[in-house]
Amino acid sequence: MNVVRLIARDELRLMARNRVAVIASVLMVLLTLVAVASSWAHQRGIADLRERHQHAAEEAFDGQPDRHPHRMVHYGTFIFRPLSALAAFDPGVDTFTGNSMFLEGHRQNTANFGDVNQSSLLVRFGQLTPAFVLQAVAPLLLIFLGYGAVARETERGTLRVLMMQGASRTQIVGGKLLALGTVALLLALPAIVGLVALAGQPGASALPMAVIVFGYTAWLLLWVLAIVLVSTLVRRSRDALLALIAIWAVMVVLLPRVAPSLAEAAVPLRNRLQTDVAIARDLRKLGDAHNPEDPTFARFKASVLERYGVTRVEDLPVNYKGLLAVEGERITSNLFNRYGSESYDAQGRQNAIAGAIGMISPAIALRSLSMAAAGTDFAAHRGFLEQAEAYRYSLVQRLNQLEADGVSYADDTAKDSGADRRKRVSADHWEAMPDFTYKAPTGATLAGRALPGLAIVLGWLAAAAALLALATRRLGERR
Amino acid sequence: MTLWMHELRLLMRQRLAATALALLAALTIAALVAGMAEVARQRAAIAAIPAAQNEDIGAIAAWVDKEKDAGSAAYYSFHPTWDAPSPLAFAALGMRDVSPYILRVRALGLEAQIYDGDTFNPEMALPGRFDFAFVLVFLAPLFVIALCHDLNSSEREAGRWRTLAALPNGGAALWRRRVLLRLALLWSVICMPFAVAAALSGAGFAAILTILLLVAGYLLFWVVLCALVERLGWSSTANAATTAALWLMLVLILPTLGHVAINRAIAIDQGAEIALAQRETVNRAWDIPREDTMKAFYARHPQWADSSPLTSAFHYKWYFAFHQVGDESVAGKVRVYRQGLEARDRAAHGLGWLLPSVGVQSVLTGMARTDLSAQLAYRDRIRDYHRQLREFYYGYMFRDRPFGKADFKRAPMFDAKT
Repeated sequence: MNVVRLIARDELRLMARNRVAVIASVLMVLLTLVAVASSWAHQRGIADLRERHQHAAEEAFDGQPDRHPHRMVHYGTFIFRPLSALAAFDPGVDTFTGNSMFLEGHRQNTANFGDVNQSSLLVRFGQLTPAFVLQAVAPLLLIFLGYGAVARETERGTLRVLMMQGASRTQIVGGKLLALGTVALLLALPAIVGLVALAGQPGASALPMAVIVFGYTAWLLLWVLAIVLVSTLVRRSRDALLALIAIWAVMVVLLPRVAPSLAEAAVPLRNRLQTDVAIARDLRKLGDAHNPEDPTFARFKASVLERYGVTRVEDLPVNYKGLLAVEGERITSNLFNRYGSESYDAQGRQNAIAGAIGMISPAIALRSLSMAAAGTDFAAHRGFLEQAEAYRYSLVQRLNQLEADGVSYADDTAKDSGADRRKRVSADHWEAMPDFTYKAPTGATLAGRALPGLAIVLGWLAAAAALLALATRRLGERR
Repeated sequence: MTLWMHELRLLMRQRLAATALALLAALTIAALVAGMAEVARQRAAIAAIPAAQNEDIGAIAAWVDKEKDAGSAAYYSFHPTWDAPSPLAFAALGMRDVSPYILRVRALGLEAQIYDGDTFNPEMALPGRFDFAFVLVFLAPLFVIALCHDLNSSEREAGRWRTLAALPNGGAALWRRRVLLRLALLWSVICMPFAVAAALSGAGFAAILTILLLVAGYLLFWVVLCALVERLGWSSTANAATTAALWLMLVLILPTLGHVAINRAIAIDQGAEIALAQRETVNRAWDIPREDTMKAFYARHPQWADSSPLTSAFHYKWYFAFHQVGDESVAGKVRVYRQGLEARDRAAHGLGWLLPSVGVQSVLTGMARTDLSAQLAYRDRIRDYHRQLREFYYGYMFRDRPFGKADFKRAPMFDAKT
C-alpha cells in the first residue's frame, strides 16, 4: 500500500477513535437531513399555496360578469411567483421577495407578503437549508476534524519520526489531504443526495445541478486545503484551531454581512415615494390627461382622426376613449419600465460590488454561484418581475383595445340610466384572456450566471493548492 | 491592585489577546458607524418627504381646483406616513431594511395598500445587517472563547498550575482575577464605543445603562460556559473546539431550527387571502345595486346616513363607500393574520429565554423598535391616520362641499409621534 494511503488511513482511524469528532459528524449529517426535509416540505407548502392562490385568482378573473373593460383593468389580476425547482436546496432571496403581486392598469404594485415580513426576528439568523449547512456548518466541522492534521505531528515530534521512516513531506501532507478530503465528501454526500432527489421535480435541469455539486465540492476541498495549509504552517495545534476559526468567522460570517453595507453605501437606491413622485412629474411633462387642451393629447387626437380620415371622434369606427386608454397606458408603462430598469440596474451594481468583495471572500462567491444556479438570485427575480410587467402591460392593453373595439363611443360617454348596461361587454372575453405563465430561465442560462462565482471559488482553490505546495516544501524545517 | 496590573501586563503581552481586543474594538466601531450611517440615510429619506410631497400635491391641487370635486382630490392624493428610526435603531437595525418605513396611502381601500413594501435589494438583505447587534450576538462570543478557553488548561499544560495554586491569592482567586479582567476588557471595548454612539444618537440614559448591563450579562454567559467546559479538565485545544462547537449550536443552528419550528407551528396563509377577498368585495360593488352598498355603509357609519341620495350620475361617495365596505369585509381575516404575526413574534421572544443569542437580539431590537411588533405598531398608526383621512374627505364628499386648493392644506398630517 502506498505511503499516502497509509497516512490517510491512519488519520481517518484517529478521527474515528475521537468520540467528539464522530458525534459531531453524525450531528452534521442529521442536521443536513433535517435541513433537506424541512426545506423541501417548506418549499412544497409554499408552492402548493401559491398554486392554489394562483388558481383561485385565475378562476375569479374568468368568472367575472359582463363588465366595462376598464372595470377589468382595475379589477386586475393576482400573480404568484412560482418557485424554482432547486429552491428547496437554496431558497436564496425567495424569503425576502414578496410572494404575490397585484397587476392592474396605470399602476405598478410591489410584490407583497414575503416571508421576511411575516416572520419573527429569527429570520435574520439565517435559514436552515442544505445550502446553509454546506456553506457555513460543514467548513467549521472540517476545521474541528482537521486542524491538528499536521500541527499535531509537529507539536508532538512525530513528524520527524514519520520522515525518518522514509515518508516524504509531500506524502505526509498528501495523506492528510486525502483523509480530510474523504471526510469532506462524506459530509457533503447527504446534501448532494438531497439535491439529486430534487431532480425528479419538474423544471430541474441537470446542468445547474452539476454546477452546484461541482461548486460545493470545490468549496469544501478549498477548506480541506486551507485547513491542512494552516496546520502545516503553525507549530501548535491550538494555534491552528484558533487561526482557522478566525478565518472561518471572517470569511463566512463577517464579510458576507459587511459587503452589503459597503455596496448600499456606494450605490443608493431611490425609494418608492421618490420614484412615484418622479414618475408623476414626468407624466405631467409628457402631457396632462386631465387637461382637454393638452398639446400631447391634442396631437394624439389629430393623428387618430387623420388615420381614419374623419374630423370628429364621434365619427371614428372605433371608440376613441379606448384608443386614449391604450395610448395612456403606453406612456405610463414606458416610464415604469425606465424607472424599473434604473432601480434594477442600481441593484445589479450593488450586487456587482458585493461580488467584487467575493474576490476576497470565497463564501460570497459560493453563495452567489449557488443562488444563481438554483435560480433564486436577484437576476432570476428580476426576470420574474420583468415578465410580470410584460404580462400586466399586455393584459391591460388587450382590455383597453377591447374598450376601443367592443364599446361604442356614444355608449361609453353616455350618462343615462341604461348606459351602464350598454357599456358592458360579454363575460366570455375574460376567459379568452391568456393566463400568466412564468418562463423559467433555461438550465444553460442558470449555469452561465453561476460561472463568475464558480471561477472565483476555483481561483481560490488553485491559490490554496499553490500555497500548500510551497508550505509543504518547508515542512519540518526549524524556524 | 498591583496584582491586577500584573495580570493586565501578562495579558497584553500575549499577541493573541492584544490582537483580539483591538480587532473587537475595530469591529464594534465599524458596526456602529455602519448602523449610524444607515439610520442617517433613513432620516434623510424621511426629511426629503415634504419637498416631494408638496410638488406632487401641488400639481394635483392645480387641476382639482377647477372642478372642486372632493372625490377627485381624495382619489388622486397620496398622503405620506413614516416610521422615524428610534435613537437606538443604529444598534440593531432589525427589520428596518426589509419592511417599509415610508408608505403613502390614499383614502381608498387600505387593505390593498398597507402591505405594500418599499424598494430594497433582496440579495443585500439576505445575509443580514452588519450592525452592533450582530457584533455583540455573533462575534463577541468568539472573542470570549479566544481569551477564556485556556485559563486553567494552559497553566496545567505549561506545568505551572500546581505552583500557582499554592501561592497566596493563587488558585481560585487568580482564576477569578483573570476572568474578571478579561470580562472587563471585552466589555469595555464593546461598550465604550457603544456608549459614545448611543449618546451621540440621543438615546436615553436608562436605555444605555440597560444595554451595558445586557452586554455584561451576555459576555458573562459565555465566560461561564468556557469555565464549565474547562472544568472537564481537557486540553486547551479540546476546550477551544468544544466551546466553538457550542457557539455554532447556540448562535447559528438552534436559532435557525427555532425559526423553522415557529413558522411551522404557526402557519400564516392569510396575507394573500386578504388581498384577494378585499378585491372581490370592492369590485363586486359595480355589479350590485348601488343602494345596497350605501345601505351597508350607512349601517356602520350612521353619521353620514343623512347625505343626499345617489342620482344616476357617478358620485365618488359611492366609490369610497364600497372601498370601505371592502375593507370591513376582510376585518376578520386581518385580525387572524395579525394574531398569527403576533404569535410568531411572541414565540421568538419566548425562545430568547432559552437561547441567550436570541434573547439579546430580541431585547436589542425590542429596545431599538426595529422588530416585528414595531412594524405592527407602525401599521396601527397608518390605520389611525387613514381613518382620519377618510373622515376628512367624507366631510366634503357626503356633504357635497367643494374642495378647493386651500382645502388640500387642511388634510390631516401624519403624526409620527403617536
